[in-house]
Amino acid sequence: MTSPTRTLFRSYIIEEYHLTEEPYYVPVGDEIELFEAAYAQKIPVIFKGPTGCGKTRFVEYMSYRLGQPLTRVQQNNGAPPENGSAEADDRDHLPLVTIACHEDLTASDLVGRYLLEGDRTVWIDGPLTRAVKVGGICYLDEIVEARKDTTVLIHPLTDHRRILPVEKRGELLEAADGFLLILSYNPGYQSALKDLKHSTRQRFISIEFDYPPRDIEAEIIAHESGCDEDTAMQLAKLGEKIRNLKEHGLAEGASTRLLIYAGQMISNGIAPRRACQVAVNWAVTDDYNIQRSIEELTTSIFE
Amino acid sequence: MVNQQPPTLQQLRTELRRFPAPVVEEFDKARAKMPRTMEEANILAWGAAGLHIADQTVRSWEATTQYFRVSPKVVAYMPFNYFLKWTDCGSDLCKESPTLAASYFEASPAAMSKLRSRHIESWAALGGSLYKGTWKSSTLACKFFAFSPALMDSLTFPELERFVAFLDALAHRSYDLAAECLSLGVQIFPLIGEDKTAFITLATALVDSGWREVKSFFDAGAKALPKIDQEQRFRFLKIAENLVHGGGSNIPGVMLETSQAFSRIEPDLHSRILDLAEALIQESPQAVPEFIKASAQVMDRLSMAQLERWYEEGVNLLRQNPDGGLAYFKIESAHSETMLEALSSGVEFERIKAIMEMYCRALAGEEVKLASSPELVDRNIGWVSAESPTTEGSTVFVPDVVDRYHSKDENFSWFKVVSTHQVAHLEFGSFFFEFERPSALFEDRRSHVESQRSSETAANSPDLDGEGLERAWITDMQRYFNLFEDRKLSLDIFTVVEDGRLDFRVKYEYPGIKAAYARVQIDSSEGRPEITSMPAREALVEFLVRLSLQQYREIPAPHDYVEQARQIAAVARQILDAEAAVEDTAEATLRIYAIISSIPNEEVPEDQWDDVDVEDEQDEEYTDPEDMQQLLQQMAMGMDMELRPDGEQDYESSEEVDYRGDFKPELTQLLTQLRMQQDGPTDASGDPITQEQLEELLQNSAELDLQAVEGDIQETQGMFADNLLKEAGMQLPDNPEFSNGPFVHVDEDGDSLEASEPQTFVYDEWDFRAGDYKPRWCIVRQKTMAEGDPNFFGSTLHSYGGLVSRIRRQFEMMVPEMFRKVRKLEDGEEIDIDDIIEAIVDMKTGASPSDKFYWRRNKVQREVAAAFLLDTSASTAEAIDDGKRAADDWDAPDDPVEYMVWLRTRRGEAARRSYKRIIDVEKEAIVLIVNALEAIGDVYGIYGFSGYGRENVEYYTIKDLDEPFSDRVKRRIDRVAPLHATRMGPAIRHATATLEKADARTKILFLVSDGRPQDRGYSREGVEKEYAVHDTRMALEEARRKDINAFCLTVDKNGHDYLKTMCADMGYEVLDNIYDLPERLLFLYRRLTM
Repeated sequence: MTSPTRTLFRSYIIEEYHLTEEPYYVPVGDEIELFEAAYAQKIPVIFKGPTGCGKTRFVEYMSYRLGQPLTRVQQNNGAPPENGSAEADDRDHLPLVTIACHEDLTASDLVGRYLLEGDRTVWIDGPLTRAVKVGGICYLDEIVEARKDTTVLIHPLTDHRRILPVEKRGELLEAADGFLLILSYNPGYQSALKDLKHSTRQRFISIEFDYPPRDIEAEIIAHESGCDEDTAMQLAKLGEKIRNLKEHGLAEGASTRLLIYAGQMISNGIAPRRACQVAVNWAVTDDYNIQRSIEELTTSIFE
Repeated sequence: MVNQQPPTLQQLRTELRRFPAPVVEEFDKARAKMPRTMEEANILAWGAAGLHIADQTVRSWEATTQYFRVSPKVVAYMPFNYFLKWTDCGSDLCKESPTLAASYFEASPAAMSKLRSRHIESWAALGGSLYKGTWKSSTLACKFFAFSPALMDSLTFPELERFVAFLDALAHRSYDLAAECLSLGVQIFPLIGEDKTAFITLATALVDSGWREVKSFFDAGAKALPKIDQEQRFRFLKIAENLVHGGGSNIPGVMLETSQAFSRIEPDLHSRILDLAEALIQESPQAVPEFIKASAQVMDRLSMAQLERWYEEGVNLLRQNPDGGLAYFKIESAHSETMLEALSSGVEFERIKAIMEMYCRALAGEEVKLASSPELVDRNIGWVSAESPTTEGSTVFVPDVVDRYHSKDENFSWFKVVSTHQVAHLEFGSFFFEFERPSALFEDRRSHVESQRSSETAANSPDLDGEGLERAWITDMQRYFNLFEDRKLSLDIFTVVEDGRLDFRVKYEYPGIKAAYARVQIDSSEGRPEITSMPAREALVEFLVRLSLQQYREIPAPHDYVEQARQIAAVARQILDAEAAVEDTAEATLRIYAIISSIPNEEVPEDQWDDVDVEDEQDEEYTDPEDMQQLLQQMAMGMDMELRPDGEQDYESSEEVDYRGDFKPELTQLLTQLRMQQDGPTDASGDPITQEQLEELLQNSAELDLQAVEGDIQETQGMFADNLLKEAGMQLPDNPEFSNGPFVHVDEDGDSLEASEPQTFVYDEWDFRAGDYKPRWCIVRQKTMAEGDPNFFGSTLHSYGGLVSRIRRQFEMMVPEMFRKVRKLEDGEEIDIDDIIEAIVDMKTGASPSDKFYWRRNKVQREVAAAFLLDTSASTAEAIDDGKRAADDWDAPDDPVEYMVWLRTRRGEAARRSYKRIIDVEKEAIVLIVNALEAIGDVYGIYGFSGYGRENVEYYTIKDLDEPFSDRVKRRIDRVAPLHATRMGPAIRHATATLEKADARTKILFLVSDGRPQDRGYSREGVEKEYAVHDTRMALEEARRKDINAFCLTVDKNGHDYLKTMCADMGYEVLDNIYDLPERLLFLYRRLTM
């Protein structure tokens, strides 16, 4: 007898994925109030801010805070075949569909497309369509990376119409009540060519994110990485100093995420200087001189 | 030759009477002095010999007189038979010349004491050999006798013989010279070590190769030899001799220079340097002097063992490429420098600048620049020490080289500590002092003291109205220091306390640097002056310094003031707190000053010192002791000054702590304020600072050490004030008194240059003969082009009307679509789902399906950055003389100075012309290109270059890469005008550097010129013409290596010959018709960027 195959992974339907625990988020300003107000009024929101400063975590947190299950999908990992509808489940959850945009992301990737199945063609809803249907939050990460034809979809969804045209099926979908479109983008490193058009950006309110102040960042690092408070404080200091180098050869400062990685390495017994080297220094730059400078910073801060 | 029948003594006397009286007189005197033991016969023989000499010629009686005079002395030195021999020698000389004999006799007593008896004859013969029968030779020979005793002091007899041979040889050329050398010899020989033969041989060799140099050789010898280790002088000479044989010229000069070098090297190392030099002679005699000169310089940075390795490398190079090797030893090649750097343990600022600058920026969180201290001194704004690290608010200055320790790591960590400390001034706000801001740790007394003081002043000088007192300060720092009677003392205390605060803070914030920091502090405190040698007040300041260096045990303090010392320690202790700010420093200074200033600055007897231990931990809160109030009161009343006894010494500042450097809070705050005033529109903070206020501040400030600056103090102050304003970016009318001339000429054979002013850049230059770079050879001075009439732009566009619109259209067509998806391909990135469905539907319906269902995306993204480099050399003033233009303007004088004159005359003619010049067409081309590029949005910069000499390569910005197009650019284009020469290499390098920073996929460098590169020391006849071409070629090659597409466009019809070399495999084009320039330029641009 052969032993039955054991499934080592768990698979969710896009809009059914639940987060069982509250995501850790420390507010820096009034972003929670702002977001709640915007959600209540169905005003789409743009998050601006450098990479790894907590934009995505904030969306997760907000969707949980609003007491909802969380759903996320990574583009291009093949949507799982749909079997049955999910809407019956728990209608009081607020689904979150996260889509990481890339430069080949087209409108049909978002809306849906026909697939071949046997000798039939089958229509598969794209993540945006699903979010519109279930009335969840759709979070388009790094929107400026996406192709321009996606704006065709964004515009009617973000004004008073709140509709999604599904051209290939000849349908217009009206967004369910809880639906809200959130974009994020990082104004720093994209070239001017990739800037958002005003006709797009002026449909949103913008919340700016930045790396948290040293104290809060230290608290976050300590919580997320499990390292002690002193180390967390030093890491936060290092982050702050490296961020000073932005625009001076460094395209982007060390993100909170990297600092947390460093903290995790340290709590696993890696020497602090080494941990910072691999998790921060080498991660942020390939430029030898800058690496040397950061090396000096690290050796100044850590014993 | 004594008579057979000796006459009696009486007869002799009678005979002698025939001669003038002195003969007999001397005879009688001498006889009386002759030794008693002397036999009668001998005396007779002596007398007869004298007579014999006297008889020889008319004037030989003089010789006899001399003979008699010295005889008694001479006879004492030797047996009588030698004495007779001596007499005979004299007699023989007398036959030749009585004068000579007289000198011989005269010199004898002194000479005999040093000469072995058996050498007497030879000695006389030496003198005789110099005598050739002429009066000049006689003078020389006489001089020889006269100097003999002195010479014999330092020369052995064989050496003396050689020396005479040399003199003889030289005398053939010039008697005067020989005579001079004789006298010089007397001075020099004692200086030479064991073997003088070498020196004499060398001198003799010089007689053959260049006798005119002999005297300067002697001179040089006298100056050079003492500088060399005694034991080694001989070898030094030997090397010099080898150089002479190797065909070297100007040996005396070389000797002087090399000995100069030796004087900078430790004497015990001379021998090893000479070892190397001796070996080097075999390879290349020319390299030897260069090596020795370089070694002095190199020894500053390298140990002996390291020097040897550096030397080895040079020798290897020399074998492969003599020119390159020579440049290596001159330290004029990059290879040489790289090697030095690799070997030395010293840390040079230049090498680590990039890293440390970024480090400092990161720490400070603002635009901190890093520069070397001498640069700040050059700015002349009040800082005078080129050694000390310091900061002036926006830049951190550090020493050029750190070579305190034996390893690079240690030196580097010193460097790091120093920079960290300086940045700490910025990071932890030393210069953001605000008078009114409360301190965190102390009770605030500043305002109180101020009001007391001002009422005091007002009381003393009632004629001063309150208004004048109101604002006697322009910075808070100045206001603060106004509280003190003795500014110097207060500044010293403030400095120490503030530095102590920063040290603590740094160590607290950056635990990683703690160890290095502590080490530097310990080393520093070891180098401090002895406290017990100081007068009381200074001792207490030094006490404070030690405390700040973390020394807490056994610090000496004067017995009478131990209590005060403890108080000081208690106050200073407070500052060591992470919360402490600069205001706390101010409060602490106030208290410490009050304590210290009440102590008279008197000598303390040796037994009156106690060692004080201070607690390094202090738990309880600090509160002012009761008498503090009183002390402050006294201080405010200025009583501290009055109380001082007469006998006290003037207070001298303590030595600055080396790693902390120069701290000038007042000046720095001033500068920061000036800058802010300059940057933004003046805010509410008040009126702009006037020059008068500034000078007043400078006058009162204790931070200026005006004594250290040469020249009139008043003038210096004015200069500082002037420069400070300039530094802050204020536009001042040029003050010719203080500005340097526009051209500072540097010798072409000189050393590397430093970019010491803002907006100047140094670049290497390629020397194709040595096959290596000449490091830091050219200075590019970047300036913004002056602005002229903006209408030029418009009118040019207007005159090119049709062309303009055509070009614009063409260029607009170049703007690509961002992503162009090409569908229906047989092969591609991915299957197009729509097409494949269509194909399947076709199959199902029985139609034949298309197999073209792939798609591909053509990504075309236009990211172009272009730099246009315009030759604005004088030759562009050439008129375009349609067809008649001189085919070769290379008839022009080659000497650049003449060339300029020649051009100026031609330009004068051109001024009356109505036709266009080359530069005009260049300008028009620029207008068109600007117009076209604005249409497609490419990033572009336009620069003009010219210059005169390697230290003055002018680089004019017409439009910078990242500068948006504006009216100012239009106006600048109008002002493009012919200037000086064309040194292309550095200009290309600078443009390359600019482009390199640009973020673009395609980078283009366009060089528009009208002729070959040409400049002083760059393009004269012979190889130099080649030199320029090769350097330019290398500069273009460097650009290419950095992925910059370079293209040369020239209007020089004869350009093909050198452009072929210059551009190698890069693109170039020679325009037949200059009027094609605008259109062609655009065409090429389009082609290159597609």
